[in-house]
Amino acid sequence: MRRWIIFGLLIAVAAALPLFLDARGYWIRVLTLTLLFAAMGQAWNIVGGLANQISLGHAAFFGIGAYTSTLLLINFGLSPWIGLFAGAALASVAALVIALPTMRLQGHYFTLATLAFGEVMRVIANVWSSLTGGPVGISVPFMAPDPLMYSFRTTVPHAYIALLALLLVTAVFVWIDRGAMGYRLRAIKGNEAAAEVIGVNTMRVKLSAAVISGALMGALGTLYVQLALFFDPDTAFGLVPISVRVALIAIIGGVGTALGPLIGAAFIIPLEEFANDLLSSGAAGLSQIAYALVLIAVILWRPRGLVTLFDAVSSKVRKKP
Amino acid sequence: MAYLQALLDGLLIGGVYAVISIGLTLVYGVMGIVNFAQAEFLMIGMFVAWFAWAYLGLDPVVAAPLSFAAAFAIGWVVQGQLIGRVLKAPAVAQIFLTVGVLILIENSALMLFGSQFRSVTTPYQTMSLQLGPLFVSVPYLIAFVMSVLCGAVLWWFMGFSWFGRAMRATAQNPTAAQLMGIDTAFMYKMAFALGVGLTAFGGAVILPYTTVFPTVGGQFVVLMFTVVVLGGLGSVAGAVIGGLTVGVVQSMSTLFFPIQLQNLVLFVVFILVLAFRPQGLIGAAR
Repeated sequence: MRRWIIFGLLIAVAAALPLFLDARGYWIRVLTLTLLFAAMGQAWNIVGGLANQISLGHAAFFGIGAYTSTLLLINFGLSPWIGLFAGAALASVAALVIALPTMRLQGHYFTLATLAFGEVMRVIANVWSSLTGGPVGISVPFMAPDPLMYSFRTTVPHAYIALLALLLVTAVFVWIDRGAMGYRLRAIKGNEAAAEVIGVNTMRVKLSAAVISGALMGALGTLYVQLALFFDPDTAFGLVPISVRVALIAIIGGVGTALGPLIGAAFIIPLEEFANDLLSSGAAGLSQIAYALVLIAVILWRPRGLVTLFDAVSSKVRKKP
Repeated sequence: MAYLQALLDGLLIGGVYAVISIGLTLVYGVMGIVNFAQAEFLMIGMFVAWFAWAYLGLDPVVAAPLSFAAAFAIGWVVQGQLIGRVLKAPAVAQIFLTVGVLILIENSALMLFGSQFRSVTTPYQTMSLQLGPLFVSVPYLIAFVMSVLCGAVLWWFMGFSWFGRAMRATAQNPTAAQLMGIDTAFMYKMAFALGVGLTAFGGAVILPYTTVFPTVGGQFVVLMFTVVVLGGLGSVAGAVIGGLTVGVVQSMSTLFFPIQLQNLVLFVVFILVLAFRPQGLIGAAR
């Protein structure tokens, strides 16, 4: 219960903040990025938290979404709103393709396979330059402000779209967590063989979770590039910039909890921006060092995530429906 | 003849891959932890060798023991202070702790040494021996011979010394090993330091035919995982076979695909092996 109050408070703050920030300024970008990455962490959480399959390849789905909507816009003038669904559809196909052979893998092996899949996508995007523009990267074309084309005068609409996306992804997460699928996923997490014996179609449940997670990640890729307006294969399919960061947000916040990714993103993204701002003038790499130290500290000190800070009695007490 | 030449090059490069990957498989075999930061120690080894060449005038091959020692010392601290604390933690904590170490080492190198590419010049760099119709590149050959020597020393150490026996006992059953008077925490530190030291050694011996820069580890990380998974995670003999296989696959694939796709072929092999034979191609039980 306490966690939901905190969740509501954070959402209320996020909803009110754009009214006070400079509509074209720096801080509203930070807020939007925080909300988008919270949503991505939540999408990752469906596979990483509920099924306990630690993916380090979610950049693949993110990049597919980003490239699909942008290329449809550039080549066919198709609105990113439609591209968003096309990207999500393609990402869900990709998620199915990679999940089919790897879903049986456990622990470290699954992580390694997803990591390789993300890297495969990065190499393809770099090499297939006739389609993607290759290592040079790709820009979202400049357009006159038109909400139907996902083009706005200020950053404020981006912030509210990101907030809405976060609420939607969280709703999907909670719906899965509380529903029959959540019970099945927890059964698999507890003991896969036993779950199979009592009649859980483990393959099907895991595949569904992977496809939903991949599709959401693909949709969020479109939202991100419409804000960033430029990307290249190494950022869109990046291991550290996307895959690790998204997983990290869920882990630092609290894996498998609805509140975790929001806490994680609210902690990590402003910290990164702050560190970049403050330290990048000092020396290259310093802000990333700070980032790594925070990560190591949180894992050693709060292995179940910062969300446990809010739990009154014990970190084990988790309200089950 | 191009095939034979590619096969020969592949085997020579593969020998080095075997040594850099033995470190990874050793850490997994003893502790059950996959060290995602392993390739960063390759980078450390390369930098140590580069500085030894630039300031002391040492050939990278001669400096390889220095690389080993530096990585050994860093690995000892990393295991003792960080990884030792998550040995019983869930996989997710272990994975992300080593990812944190990866980011930390890579960016420390970036801060200390800058992002420029560095390479060494050695008298034998462009030499090659003619063997009938085939050419044997001298830097490849030297790196291969050094790797074989290093592997042989490790094989003796693990198989015939007291330390090696104690380490294998710790891998098999830490509790029983402790009861027999083995300091398991010490053995874990030893295994980790030795593992990253070997990888750094491999980094030094390949320096004559490659360049070093802070993010060089990224080029090797999936490669190393491919090697160990091919041979079965935790199996040292498997890493040798895996290393040679990966070297040959990489070298052969350049005959059929453009060079940019070299790694793609490797990644696809990797995913297929994981999907169909996660216990490794040779199926070694550890």
